[in-house]
Amino acid sequence: MPSSKSLKPSRPTKSRVLSTPTTVSDFTILPLTLPTAATLPSIYASAKHYLYIKPHAPSQPTASSERSLFIANIPFDAGETNIRALFAEQLGGSRVENVEFDSAVPAIASIKRWKTADKPAGGESRGKKRKRDEDIVAEGVVEDKESRLPQIWEHELRVSGGTAVIIFVDERSCKGAWKEIQKCIKEGRDVSWVEGEGLGLQRYTTHNTLIYPSKANLQSSINAYLTQFNRAEIARNRVRAKQRSVPDEDGFITVVRGGRTGPARLEEAERHKVELEERRKKNGVKDDFYRFQTREKRKEAEGELRRKFEVDRRRVEEMRARRGVVRPQT
Amino acid sequence: MAPPGPKRRKLQHSEDNDGNSVSVTENGGPGVTGPTPAKQIASSNAQDHKRRDRTIQDGVYTAEVYKSNMFKLQVDELLQQVKPRYGKKEAPAENAMRTLKSIIEQIPSRAAISISEAETTFKSHGIVIPFPSPRPPQDAKYKLQYDRPSSINATGSYPLKIATRMDDGLTIDLVVTMPKSVFQEKDYLNYRYFYKRAYYLACLAAGIRECKDHIFKVSFDCLNGNQLQPVLVIHPSGDEGIDDFSSSKCRIQIILAFPERTFVDKKLRPHANCVRPKGGDEETEEKPLSATPFYNATLQSDATITAYLKLLHATNTTCDAYKDACILGRVWLKQRGFGSTLRRGGFGNFEWAATMAVLLQANSGAGGSPLSTGYSSYQLFKATLQFLAYKNLSKKPYVFQAPDLTFPKTDAPPPIIFDGPRGLNILFKMTPWSYARLQLEAKLTIETLGDSTFDHFESTFILKTDMLQYRYDASLEVPLSALQLDSTSEEYDQNLGEICRKIYTTLLRALTDRVTALAFLIPDERDWDVSASKPPEDQRRSIIINIATDPANANRAVDHGPAAENKKEAALFRQFWGDKAELRRFKDGSILESVVWSLKDTSAPVLEQIISFVLQKHIGVEAADKTRFISDSFAHLIPAGRIQGQSGVSSFLPCMNALAVVEKDLRALEGLPLTIRHIFAADPRLRYSTVEPPTTTMANSIHVPASLVIQFEGSARWPDDLCAIQRTKIAFLLKLTDLLSEAQPTYSTRVGLENPSQPSQNQAFLDVVAPSGFAFRLRVHHDREATLLDRQLKDKTLDGQSRESAAAALASYKRDFINIPAHTQVLQTLCTRYLALSPAIRLTKRWFASHLLLPHFSAELIELLVVRSFLQPHPWPVPSCATTGFLRTISWISRWDWRHVPLIVDFSSTFSNNPTDLEGTGPKGMKSEDVEKIQTRFEAWRRIDPAMNRVVLFAATNLDNEGTTWTNKAKPEKVVAARMTALAKATTDLMKAENDRVLSISIGEVEQTEKTEAFDPERVFVSHVQEYDIVLHLSPKHSTSAKKKLKPAYKNLQVQQTNGSSDVVCGFHPVELFVEDLQSVYGDAILWFWNPEKTDLIAGIWNPSVAGVRSWKVKAGWNSVPLFVTGKDDEHKEQGVEIQVNKGAICNEIARLGGELITRIEVNR
Repeated sequence: MPSSKSLKPSRPTKSRVLSTPTTVSDFTILPLTLPTAATLPSIYASAKHYLYIKPHAPSQPTASSERSLFIANIPFDAGETNIRALFAEQLGGSRVENVEFDSAVPAIASIKRWKTADKPAGGESRGKKRKRDEDIVAEGVVEDKESRLPQIWEHELRVSGGTAVIIFVDERSCKGAWKEIQKCIKEGRDVSWVEGEGLGLQRYTTHNTLIYPSKANLQSSINAYLTQFNRAEIARNRVRAKQRSVPDEDGFITVVRGGRTGPARLEEAERHKVELEERRKKNGVKDDFYRFQTREKRKEAEGELRRKFEVDRRRVEEMRARRGVVRPQT
Repeated sequence: MAPPGPKRRKLQHSEDNDGNSVSVTENGGPGVTGPTPAKQIASSNAQDHKRRDRTIQDGVYTAEVYKSNMFKLQVDELLQQVKPRYGKKEAPAENAMRTLKSIIEQIPSRAAISISEAETTFKSHGIVIPFPSPRPPQDAKYKLQYDRPSSINATGSYPLKIATRMDDGLTIDLVVTMPKSVFQEKDYLNYRYFYKRAYYLACLAAGIRECKDHIFKVSFDCLNGNQLQPVLVIHPSGDEGIDDFSSSKCRIQIILAFPERTFVDKKLRPHANCVRPKGGDEETEEKPLSATPFYNATLQSDATITAYLKLLHATNTTCDAYKDACILGRVWLKQRGFGSTLRRGGFGNFEWAATMAVLLQANSGAGGSPLSTGYSSYQLFKATLQFLAYKNLSKKPYVFQAPDLTFPKTDAPPPIIFDGPRGLNILFKMTPWSYARLQLEAKLTIETLGDSTFDHFESTFILKTDMLQYRYDASLEVPLSALQLDSTSEEYDQNLGEICRKIYTTLLRALTDRVTALAFLIPDERDWDVSASKPPEDQRRSIIINIATDPANANRAVDHGPAAENKKEAALFRQFWGDKAELRRFKDGSILESVVWSLKDTSAPVLEQIISFVLQKHIGVEAADKTRFISDSFAHLIPAGRIQGQSGVSSFLPCMNALAVVEKDLRALEGLPLTIRHIFAADPRLRYSTVEPPTTTMANSIHVPASLVIQFEGSARWPDDLCAIQRTKIAFLLKLTDLLSEAQPTYSTRVGLENPSQPSQNQAFLDVVAPSGFAFRLRVHHDREATLLDRQLKDKTLDGQSRESAAAALASYKRDFINIPAHTQVLQTLCTRYLALSPAIRLTKRWFASHLLLPHFSAELIELLVVRSFLQPHPWPVPSCATTGFLRTISWISRWDWRHVPLIVDFSSTFSNNPTDLEGTGPKGMKSEDVEKIQTRFEAWRRIDPAMNRVVLFAATNLDNEGTTWTNKAKPEKVVAARMTALAKATTDLMKAENDRVLSISIGEVEQTEKTEAFDPERVFVSHVQEYDIVLHLSPKHSTSAKKKLKPAYKNLQVQQTNGSSDVVCGFHPVELFVEDLQSVYGDAILWFWNPEKTDLIAGIWNPSVAGVRSWKVKAGWNSVPLFVTGKDDEHKEQGVEIQVNKGAICNEIARLGGELITRIEVNR
């Protein structure tokens, strides 16, 4: 990415803010022409969108990183379909295998995991298409097609300024696409963005039907879920049982839920402690038995009063500092 | 000023040189010389004694002596602020006083002349003698005379150091005592004294005006508006000469007095007659003459000016806190609009000080003194208020050292505090209504001070409580011209007084328990130039009668009178009501005289009907016609805003009834695996607090069904896993649907999904549309969720993200399933207890909505804000109509310093609606420890999050002391909260301007008021769209205003898509979904404002941190445009690429997302 070279043509102009740059850092900037909309004010009629693109180079390379491009600042309505179409129809016809987005609206369901249990193989980003192997999660189950609740939105949206990783079918098409992008910029060719599917009122009417799935669908999904849940619970219990007996590197055994009698819980122990103390207090020497006790009590009360007075004085001083002197309203 | 208490203490500290005893004497103000320290001295153990003594000193503030430390400290500060400094600023005025004194001393005596001679002499001086009316007879035998005054003294509050610096400036009184030689023994009769006094005053005026060496502006005024007592007012000349005292911001008032014992005291007692009828003195023997208490007291007050100066001064030396208590009293009176002048009620600073001085002395025969000299200033203040509030001085006069005294019997006895040694009724200037008002305000303050939980310093001393729209619910504007009095006649003042009295008694009789207070605002008089006679009153001014209502009775349709058999009373009743009175038989069989008023929506409010009727019947047609009646002026802005009959919530009843039916039907279902334990309402519509009363789905399908929470009985068979619980809940809902459609086929039901991103939070709800058309949304509450979430929160083996999501889930669980149902229940009760609460909440919500702020505040938070002004109404009574409730809430919001002060609402506090029966308030409600706890929690939040990114407003109640339930996650954000405050301030400013306008009709310049227009309440509800950066204009097809016509089209669409499984559309609100999308796509880059009630536009503003040019970043979090930016240094001309928000592309995106919802996008910035 010869950044200095591409900067040259636009240098001579003297204005402080010059025409659009073509690269930034190691990213190439690809302007996109946006679909027109009649509702827009005229000054924005020809506004462009800018993608920042570079070959994907994660710190821990994965099997697919060699044939992927990384795009930042994707449009909010980017989906697999229109990105696929973008490359197929306007950027040299490279074939895209799939696209991983960093965000979604509504957000991807978060599944609670244990610290150690969740180590996605190969440092894969937590994309939508995460490999759904039967890993054991902290609650519920990793849902599959049957057990998942019906989707209530037809299409996802992206958070503004999000990123995506585009995985091509092979390294060659990836390279081809990259070259085509560079060429486009050099020639100043117009690349236009195709609007996402199902936007506008349609998005909301569809949503309003989708939130009410048919009873049969719901019932079967629940049945599937509960079956899987029972299976997962057994697996989880196995893990817990293992944790109970395996000492960690320091030689300690983690106390976890489960087990025959169940180990003592912290809250319970604390409650007992409080109870015990109370009992001791009740049966023990009353606190006004000795003279020193009354004396100390009085001292304490005195100190408390003094402290409270100081606190209040500070508060009033702060009040004065904040809103000036007190003066009756007029 | 060396009271015994502190002196002794000081001594001790020097004796035992203990390092701990620092700053002890500093803390002890004058207030610590209570009676208690004396007892402590007796202690034998010196060591022990010292310690205990100090305890008292430090703890003294927390005890009864002062309400609390906070209160005491703030009072100290206030006293310091309002006391004049007696320094440089006041020096010119003091100089002027000295000059005046010497001028007066040099005025030569004048020989006695007759009245007509005097008038002509003074005409040549250019002075009109300010004779009181009735004017002196021209043929009077007595002569007028001027001799050098026997003494000239400063008097009043200034030399006593109990004056206050208020905005209207100081008045310094200079009393000139006329010599005895001017008067004759019988001069107390028939105004003779007053004529001589007026002449004397004119002589003084002439002397001061004609003094060549010194220039003062001189004018006449009446002392306390009493036309018998003209006084001389000296204004600074303003010429910046040596005598100019403009910089002191005060005026000097020269008052005349005559020496004591000039006349026989007995002749001036209240029961005596001093104005003989015109007929001649001979006939008097046969018929006892009617007493002239007012005349007598006026005369006596001239005699006692010096005596009172002495009394107050003596009290000041015996009682340390007296001075401060006087100042507190002055502030209190001023903030409530009381004054010494006749028209302001005749209870002002002097009366306060004198009352307190009298109460501080033991009354022979009546035991000890009501106040003790050992009291602190606060105790003196409070005890004096208590005396005023709970002693009925018109029924049982307080007579101080005057054993054999009789008072004239009248049907409306005036209040009396008779000061025997000085022979004066201190309250002689008070009217029945001003006394009633004084008592009411005193009671309110006593009640306020009795509450130890909250700090009431502000409401007692700082707030101006006589703002009409805040204090009163209705007002009458009676133009003086409508009363048809001759303003030039001699009896004008008297007639005006009489007609006010008549209006007062008539209204009181007619309105009975509908009102709690009636207050008269009579135009103030001005001083006039010495060269003219007193100008007649401007008849374009108005009397304003303010009315506070009791909502429970104010709109009652029928007034019951006496029974028909009771002939005498029935006749009186008929006489009063005329043809309005009718004989009716009631359900309980009784036959009563009664009056019936119309309750129809179209008719005027009942109060107005009554008032215009009685004014017409008893005062005059003209008066009734020209009177303007204003009440509840904001209520028409919301549907059903006026309290109808005895209920403020009637428009919500159909929905509440539908809920009762649904609950019954659900509970009747058989075959559920677990029985239903509770069904809780959890929706603003089910607690009477939505702007629009709830409608059926047929009428309006946009609103989401009203939420309910259903809880089943406990069972061990629930899975012990959050996600699995959510699925099980769905299974329950499906079962419910089956059973309900089987048992009640007229119901339409369907299960819907929510929260797709949070599998451990609630996943589904059941929409039930009852045959009545009302729709409800049920969610299942399972209490095990809390435990599981709590456990996850503490589980250290879970990764951070999971624990965070557990925390969020726990917060929303608590809010949805615990706090909202509890809040709903409390509000239901409160709304039925306080009739004005529901309309006030709805009006406040409309205000928030019309300023596009509503979506930023949770409904519950706004409700709490309004509830606060009902449960902590101080310094006012509980609001009794929508307008007062709304305005006081907004006024509180404008004063609320939410950065430093939490909102605390105590639902358990009980205040009665009618301030007259306040005595029964028990020690219920929150303790101050609870408040302390909330305060600590609040402070902790501010420490954790000083930038207020997460919690901006903090609102806690006695049910929920977390404080962040309704405001967590920056709902509202700091900018929005600041905007709320700014808008509330603008609103209160408008109201203040309106208040001033109304007052100026009554008091001020009439010319000015004619220009200003009448106030339109809607002005408070107008929002300006130009202030926003982006405005999305929405298609009217999809906005809520056009819902009715267009919905059927969608209904068809819906039916096709759902294959006819359900034929009801409810809760489909595309604009709301659109805004939600906008919010989740753009995050905090753009802040969106919209009005859910009227979705014709959505407005947005750019986050200022986004709008600027920033260095490039892979994940900026918003759509960006790259730019070349040259380095500032011209030598290098280094170019970098930076980014800026891509407004064009974002607008394009919004246009794409909104599609046909949007008609036009307007970009202002």
